[in-house]
Amino acid sequence: MAMSALRREGRRLTSIVSPNPINLLRASVVSSEEQTSLGVRYISTQIVRNRMKSVKNIQKITKAMKMVAASKLRQVQSKTENSRGLWQPFTALLGDSPSVDVKKNVIITISSDKGLCGGINTTSVKVSRALRKMNDGPDCETKYIILGEKAKLQLIRDSKMDIDLCISELQKNPLNYTQVSALADDILKNVQFDALRIVFNKFSSVVSFLPTVSTVLSPQIIERESEAGGSLGELDSYEIEGGETKSEILQNLAEFQFSCVMFNAVLENACSEQGARMSAMDSSSRNAGEMLDRLTLTYNRTRQASITTELIEIISGASALEG
Amino acid sequence: MTLNLCVLTPNRSVWNSEVNGIILPTNNSQIGVLPNHACTATAVDIGILRIRLNDQWLTMALMGGFARIGNNAITILVNEAERGSDIDPQEAQKTLEIAEANLIKAEGKRQVIEANLALRRARTRVEASNTIS
Repeated sequence: MAMSALRREGRRLTSIVSPNPINLLRASVVSSEEQTSLGVRYISTQIVRNRMKSVKNIQKITKAMKMVAASKLRQVQSKTENSRGLWQPFTALLGDSPSVDVKKNVIITISSDKGLCGGINTTSVKVSRALRKMNDGPDCETKYIILGEKAKLQLIRDSKMDIDLCISELQKNPLNYTQVSALADDILKNVQFDALRIVFNKFSSVVSFLPTVSTVLSPQIIERESEAGGSLGELDSYEIEGGETKSEILQNLAEFQFSCVMFNAVLENACSEQGARMSAMDSSSRNAGEMLDRLTLTYNRTRQASITTELIEIISGASALEG
Repeated sequence: MTLNLCVLTPNRSVWNSEVNGIILPTNNSQIGVLPNHACTATAVDIGILRIRLNDQWLTMALMGGFARIGNNAITILVNEAERGSDIDPQEAQKTLEIAEANLIKAEGKRQVIEANLALRRARTRVEASNTIS
């Protein structure tokens, strides 16, 4: 555009006016740099065009990312819904009592490995920190187990001492129960705990993710609480069969409960991650579109202003010659 | 009077409807559950679950887990469950033979234990596919 305008201008100048080098120079300078000294302030069309091209590319990329996230979401969502029925019998049998007083708390924070997924990782980390503050007491200790890179980056800055275990690259292979139960086994072997609190984002719909805490109590605490009565008191009314002692069964039960709850939590978090990424990419595509609109207006204004300036110069030059 | 039976695995729900009674394989025995059973929580071993429905017995192979018997409502959570009618007898037989061969080859305590478990699972599947009575 600028080149053809220059060419046109050059031809007109040579036919109407004797080639005035100052005019030519001024015109070319005006069209290719920002010009503040002349009192005419506008950006060159070249720069605006470059910016438009890069914004359009970014819009294409974010649109593609949104579609990829949508397809991944569909895959994980059906698995998640099937796994929801898994932990309900445990809650019916053992109750979910987050307020049980325990000495050793272990907080398992589940987060994603990749970024660009909105604020879900920050919410998980905030909830974990709040949990820790809540449970801090004279002889209570809290440890972290972190799944996923993003929470690790955030928690390592202020709670480096309290992190027991860091696991990442969970989603390299599609999530299945065997993998999660092996992970749960690992955790159970290495960590002493009275209560495990799993912090994750529950997927309630494509636009809403609720930070949730699931509590799994260790078998000793379960025995203590069930004998004391309260919400776990119902457990006593159940006869426990199989195995020699009640505590052996309770231990197995607690381990099974932990792996089931972990499986559900990891799936729900994966769903929330894809959903959050979808909405983040969607809003950034829309932003890019709006930016593109504004840039197009600026571009057109710039173009028209430069054409007007040329015309004015030509006409004033011509009239100066005549008159 | 009927019992409401629910068999769940981590990947899906295998059974969710009413039955007349079941026979559940636990660690050291098999227990039969009829309506109005006492509330019980028990571990479930690798074995065959027999379901009585309208004067017919159906089989299901279970791979270990837990069972909770409430007020006429049974919830069974297992690692994997397959209906007897869904198991292909030839394929189950072949898996059994492979498992037996692996057991003979196994060395070291851990491999022996794993091979034993695989053998029991394969045997359960073969039995479940055979007893359709």
